[in-house]
Amino acid sequence: MLLSRAFQPVAMLILLAPFVLAVMAGLLGTSAGNRNFGIVFVWIVWWAVLMVLLVPGLGRVWCTVCPIPAPGEWVQRRGIIGGAGRLRTRGLRWPRRLRNMWLQNAGFLVLALFSMVILTRPSVSAGVFVGLIGVAVGMSLLFEKRTFCRYVCPIGGFIGLYSMAAPVELRVRDAQVCVDHREKDCITGNDRGYGCPWMVYPGKLDRNLDCGLCTECLKTCTMDNVVINLRRPGADLAKPVRGNRIDEAFKALIMLACSIIYPAVLFGPWATVKEWAAIESFGGWLIYAAAFLIATLVVIPGLFWLAVAGGQRSCAGGLTVRRAFNEYSHALIPLGLAAWVTFSVGFALTNGSYALAAISDPFGWGWDVFGTRDVGWTPYLSGAAPTIQAAILIGGLLFSIRTSLRVGLRHDPSGETTLAATAPIAAFLLASTLALLWLYLG
Amino acid sequence: MTTTRGNRAALVMLAFIVVGVPALIIGYQYGLRPALADHRVVDIEALAPENGGFSPDVVRVEVGETITLRFAADDVTHGIAIGPGLGIDLGHVDPGHVGEVTFTPQEPGTYTYYCNTWCSADHWRMRGVLEVVDPNSPGGVNVQLDPIIEALGAASVDIDSEPEVAEGIFPDRSRGERSLDTVEVPPSLRDPDWRLSHSPAEGLEVLQADNPDTPEDVLVDVVAYLWSETPPTDEISELFARNCAACHGERGRGDGPGAATTLEEPVAYPEVSWHRRGDIWYAKIMRGGMGTDMPNFGTLFTEEETRLLVDYLRYLSFTES
Repeated sequence: MLLSRAFQPVAMLILLAPFVLAVMAGLLGTSAGNRNFGIVFVWIVWWAVLMVLLVPGLGRVWCTVCPIPAPGEWVQRRGIIGGAGRLRTRGLRWPRRLRNMWLQNAGFLVLALFSMVILTRPSVSAGVFVGLIGVAVGMSLLFEKRTFCRYVCPIGGFIGLYSMAAPVELRVRDAQVCVDHREKDCITGNDRGYGCPWMVYPGKLDRNLDCGLCTECLKTCTMDNVVINLRRPGADLAKPVRGNRIDEAFKALIMLACSIIYPAVLFGPWATVKEWAAIESFGGWLIYAAAFLIATLVVIPGLFWLAVAGGQRSCAGGLTVRRAFNEYSHALIPLGLAAWVTFSVGFALTNGSYALAAISDPFGWGWDVFGTRDVGWTPYLSGAAPTIQAAILIGGLLFSIRTSLRVGLRHDPSGETTLAATAPIAAFLLASTLALLWLYLG
Repeated sequence: MTTTRGNRAALVMLAFIVVGVPALIIGYQYGLRPALADHRVVDIEALAPENGGFSPDVVRVEVGETITLRFAADDVTHGIAIGPGLGIDLGHVDPGHVGEVTFTPQEPGTYTYYCNTWCSADHWRMRGVLEVVDPNSPGGVNVQLDPIIEALGAASVDIDSEPEVAEGIFPDRSRGERSLDTVEVPPSLRDPDWRLSHSPAEGLEVLQADNPDTPEDVLVDVVAYLWSETPPTDEISELFARNCAACHGERGRGDGPGAATTLEEPVAYPEVSWHRRGDIWYAKIMRGGMGTDMPNFGTLFTEEETRLLVDYLRYLSFTES
């Protein structure tokens, strides 16, 4: 199935249907978010499926079927299942200075700053969806391949980061086969498929971060050397980080910070902060935005920097603080992912029942397609949810501590300095977990 | 790599998703659905007045035409009712839910659909007009003059005059009821219409003339009882609670949660009831208090409801005073 040319486009087409419905519901349907398909199915159902099942279980698989870049890609390829001839694009190279995650970080922060509005107002939400598609189409016409997905998409950024913890990977069986294969069909493409749209050379792929699981290389590889493996979860996390990837470290820190700020704003007892986040007054929102950006870009990264620096100073491990900051930032990924799973589980259990009404009456026009229009709001497993959430968070903490120890052991296989290097990081992780437990359990 | 047949099929599928599905949905909602209905269905969006109120805010229907009004609350919980005299109250409609009513109006006139649940600071402005027209004279909607308000006008009574505060008088209807048999009550004081057009203070003068030897405080209590003789029903106390208590307070003392937001301090009935004529209160309720933020309820309440409401204000004024 994965080798079929129709696999990815058909999956995208199928998902384009609810996406179009979500946009329509946002533009034409009720402005009550909890009864609007656009809000309920994107920000409750899709988000929960993405963060609880897809990313932890299958990594980047959402990027395989995501409908957002689909129109742009089909325009570029002059066809849906398979195009002919040259790509319809200016084919510009993405500027070297932007070949990192900074734009994705910025995009995510912008969405996060307006999230209380985006998540509750269907028309705004629809505007964001249309905007993302518009940018994706525009970039497809200007830039080569999936430049949007690789360097701009704010969702793809964190999916890529957390996919490094997933138990699934696309890799080559034997890197030497790739070295010896002169044609490099996986890059150039052939009559079976396109050269890697994500601009990745599978032969050197050792992390999930940049691979969009588009399956093109599975089709184009004439050596049958590309495979999808099951593996130990988190296998990428202790691997060395090539080059200066402070952008990647900040992605992990921003995601962890947001995973703490979101429940604090949404579920916390601070009504004023919630009003600020909902932009009930511009002045209030400015205060919220400033505090949010300071927390995500200065305070939490600063504390992590201090933890890393403290560990390096006490063990004299030979790493520069900057290098250690990059390397140990991978330890934040399991806890960050666990925090988002925790958030999403709580959100889905609390608000999932809205889906039953929304699927019968997606626009709030009084339809009753499946006879579930009048199903009332019912939180599920409200008694068990805190226990489930605590278990996920503690699991994430242990996974993160283990990751930091593995990174430490890679730099000092003797293990003599590992505890000293990682103890402050473990303390940072523990403090973050306690903050999250306090927010969820009170 | 070209797969012409596959591409064609996919293009058809894409066109269906991007063009066909939206066209089908819009066509069904705005074309087929109304066409299939055996009567007219009007969708009305209900938002707090600050966000736009009712949309549409005018609905026109003919006498004898069956119509369904569907109210979709989009922001906060609203209470939807239609009055006066139609007896339609949909109760609470929560955000995202739709409350609907199907009815066939029989009397031409101007009715009001309104929110009767405190939904925002401007809650009182949340009103729409239902015009029921007679197909035989479609140009006009019956507007009937109110005889009580007309009579006040004819007598040059200033409805908006400042109410006089009663000082040193503490009427108690319960004591008055017990003393009723000990005094001579002239027939005029037994007449609800006379009581409506006279204040309790005026009633006391009449009662004193017939009972010169009875202590004044006893007569005050008897007058208090007579002016609040009609026992309040659950419907009227509910009407007061839904429409008046937010500003005037649960016991009518001007201390409701909305009191702080009004242009003028809401009236505390026990303070002014002694010198106030009931027909002035009636007119205030029906017409509204000019420039005070007191809204008009003439489009919501029937004459009978309004009179019973005036009696209820007396009851509140002379109980537990």
